[in-house]
Amino acid sequence: MGSPDVGAELILRPEGEIKLETSGVNLFYDGFQALREVSVAVPARRITALIGPSGCGKSSFLRCLNRMNDLIDGARVVGDVLLDGNSIYDRATDVAELRKRVGMVFQAPNPFPMSIYDNVAYGPRLHGTRGREKLDEIVESSLRGAALWDEVKDGLRKSALDLSGGQQQRLSIARVLAVEPEVLLMDEPCSALDPTATFRIEELMLELMERYTIVIVTHNMYQASRVSQYTGFFLLGELIEYGVTTQIFENPKDRRTDDYVRGRFG
Amino acid sequence: MRTVQRLRPRATQAVVFAGLWAAAAVVVLPVVGILALMFIRGGRALSWELLSSAEEGLLPAIVGTMCLVALTALIAAPLGIAAAVYLSEYARSGPLVRLIRLAIVNLAGVPSVVYGLFGLGLFVMLLAFGRCLLAGACTLALLVLPLVITASEEALRQVPGRLREASFGLGATRWQTVRRVVLPNALPGMMTGLILSVGRAAGETAPILFTAAFISLTKPFPSSALDPIEALPFKLYYMATEAHGVSEEVKWATAAALVMLVLAMNLAAVVIRARLRGARRW
Repeated sequence: MGSPDVGAELILRPEGEIKLETSGVNLFYDGFQALREVSVAVPARRITALIGPSGCGKSSFLRCLNRMNDLIDGARVVGDVLLDGNSIYDRATDVAELRKRVGMVFQAPNPFPMSIYDNVAYGPRLHGTRGREKLDEIVESSLRGAALWDEVKDGLRKSALDLSGGQQQRLSIARVLAVEPEVLLMDEPCSALDPTATFRIEELMLELMERYTIVIVTHNMYQASRVSQYTGFFLLGELIEYGVTTQIFENPKDRRTDDYVRGRFG
Repeated sequence: MRTVQRLRPRATQAVVFAGLWAAAAVVVLPVVGILALMFIRGGRALSWELLSSAEEGLLPAIVGTMCLVALTALIAAPLGIAAAVYLSEYARSGPLVRLIRLAIVNLAGVPSVVYGLFGLGLFVMLLAFGRCLLAGACTLALLVLPLVITASEEALRQVPGRLREASFGLGATRWQTVRRVVLPNALPGMMTGLILSVGRAAGETAPILFTAAFISLTKPFPSSALDPIEALPFKLYYMATEAHGVSEEVKWATAAALVMLVLAMNLAAVVIRARLRGARRW
């Protein structure tokens, strides 16, 4: 699959079930080309990290995977993204349904200005879940899933804005879990958090990996090496190298990857 | 030369500061002046009896103006808010949106007497409402529409984009996002803008002159939206130009009543804004 090019052997195709696959994705913002011919296969129920210097296109790429770029005026995607083998850029794709299946956690915690309970119940309510008991159940299991339940169970009616930054980010994760996605996209989820909160989120990701396919964008290479099994290195809008995390960090094949993971630039 | 340059910033600062202070004072003085003048000249006539009497007093005009204001708000709010939501949440920038914005800016610049004549032509005659509360409110609604749209758009802009992203990211459609996240958070700002806008409409004479207002001899209060009404600005205009035997004091007191009504509305808007601003942080 995909067109053969010079760097083809640098892009590993993981073994086993593939959840998401992109083929020749190009992203344009008006005249500017943010991504060039990105082809990558994301394995199911693994954590895939995307690293690279600021502005390399890794976040833009993540936003291609659930069509969040649709919301930006002048953004255009050429190429294709397959979720379980089906194109998400197909005309017939229901974008809202897609984003339900491919959830996203953003860089800065962004709770809605409503109660903790209503934040978590927001997604299920959107998708038609009614009834007190059912919602209570979803809220509890989602908050447990995001390792936040014990801290907030006595104040579910309190405003989500009163939580600390790390708690707010875990609430964002709980909110996504509540819609039962298959894929979790995380866009630098720890960049606004302190080391303790970061550690908790990383632990959580490793737990979530059992049930979800996770793609995380991070500018923190230690984070990538701690949590991920596969790593992709982006530079100037291109995917330079993609492979098993230990190989990328210990024995990169491309000179530029080597320079970056050794901290020679970025 | 050097010493002069070193002294200059301070001197400049003093001059600029004095200038700014004077500018601020110029804004405040007329307000205080107008209020003082009205109360000094009309204070003695401004009694509960004047305000509450239907035959001799201002009650029909006060009731009429309040009806006008309420109906204007009722018509302008849904139109203005819907237009603002379309412009800021749905429309993609392009020639159409530029044209709409140009129209809004120009609409805001049309003199109020032109609205009055337009209202006469459209609502009173063409649509055959007759001179009535409804025709006046429709005319005033057109007048305040640009203000309501602009204020509502501003309120929508205040809602952070990351809340919209969060909602879309959970699989919400655009309408679900607008309805559940954007509107609830923009509503306080919209209400403030709406009250300030219709507060302006409450004091307008020209738009209701041909469309709604009359001086009642037999029927002080409207029984439906299709009846003509008395209104404070019109009553004032009539007293000042045509009426005989109305004392100067009563004229001033009428002016004071109108200004107080408008000020009360502005104050309400400020209070609502302060309340809700305190309740919301992001």
